[in-house]
Amino acid sequence: MMAGQTAAPDRALVRIDTEHCKGCDLCVVACPHRNLRLASGYNRSGYHPVEFHYRGDRGECTACGLCYWVCPDYAITEVAKLRP
Amino acid sequence: MIENEGTLYETKLGPLPTLTSKPTHYCAGCEHGTLTHLIASALQDLGVRERAVLVNSVGCSVLAPDYLNVDAVEAPHGRAPAVMAGIKRARPDLLVFSIQGDGDAASIGLLELMYAANRGDPMTIFLVNNATYGMTGGQMAPTTPIGMVTTTTPRGRDLALTGPPIDASKLVASFERPAYVRRVFLPVTPTPSTEFFNARGALEGALAVRHAFEVQERGGFAFVEFVSTCSVNWKMSVLDSKRYAAQVLAPLFPEGVLRDRFHMESA
Repeated sequence: MMAGQTAAPDRALVRIDTEHCKGCDLCVVACPHRNLRLASGYNRSGYHPVEFHYRGDRGECTACGLCYWVCPDYAITEVAKLRP
Repeated sequence: MIENEGTLYETKLGPLPTLTSKPTHYCAGCEHGTLTHLIASALQDLGVRERAVLVNSVGCSVLAPDYLNVDAVEAPHGRAPAVMAGIKRARPDLLVFSIQGDGDAASIGLLELMYAANRGDPMTIFLVNNATYGMTGGQMAPTTPIGMVTTTTPRGRDLALTGPPIDASKLVASFERPAYVRRVFLPVTPTPSTEFFNARGALEGALAVRHAFEVQERGGFAFVEFVSTCSVNWKMSVLDSKRYAAQVLAPLFPEGVLRDRFHMESA
């Protein structure tokens, strides 16, 4: 990156309540761009909670909300889009 | 509106005030939690939380009032439709709904379900059909597919001994009065690419839940069956249980709208 140039902000944001997550993998397989994956660390209940990456294996998050709807523990608390 | 590292983001989907902050007791990947979320979202969008009464059943759904911010009454095993009929007759302004399992509604409480459907009392019933008795340790339920190994059918369910599985949605739709009967396949479904699963079930479920509440507001009996999984009692991994459900349960309990008197689906 050139000096003085700032990176474009991420266009979408997914917030996760890691303490509610049971690491069931449903959002991981439902995400069309693979923006979610299980963390290597543990939460207080001993599960590997899911973590969000704006740049996934197949593309950037579009805030489609599929993870929000499939999550059985509603641990995906917020799906947000960059304010236009 | 939230702020992250100095950038403003607009919330598209956010936390629901109709849900409590308590973590669920459901096993990882259980559709009961998905359904709780869908119901909370529908109650919020329709603005009926203050009038909603959850009549809860016995089974894994017994703790549902801990997660939904609504008033609740506990019914004896399988008797939720009878309790709902009583509440609705005493207070027609309230919106009553139940979350029942297949062991609750299709076995022990089948008679209550049938009579409520026959009378067509305005109420909303959500049936979570996971083909087993989940809470008690995976015994055979009336909805268990032939050949499925459970605690009480260690050699697989035998057609000659126990008869074929009961189709609760078809049974309810065989009565004249119900206004809305629908079956949704709730789990994520495998796609030809083995890495990805399709989340259509949850989106269809969100619509079905909404329609079921609206039908009751118009004075109709609404029944929605959610074909689900029970990975722990099926003794499979979460994703294997979704594959099994798509392979075995989906053809046995086909999705569809079996009754739509108020034309909710075409609106």
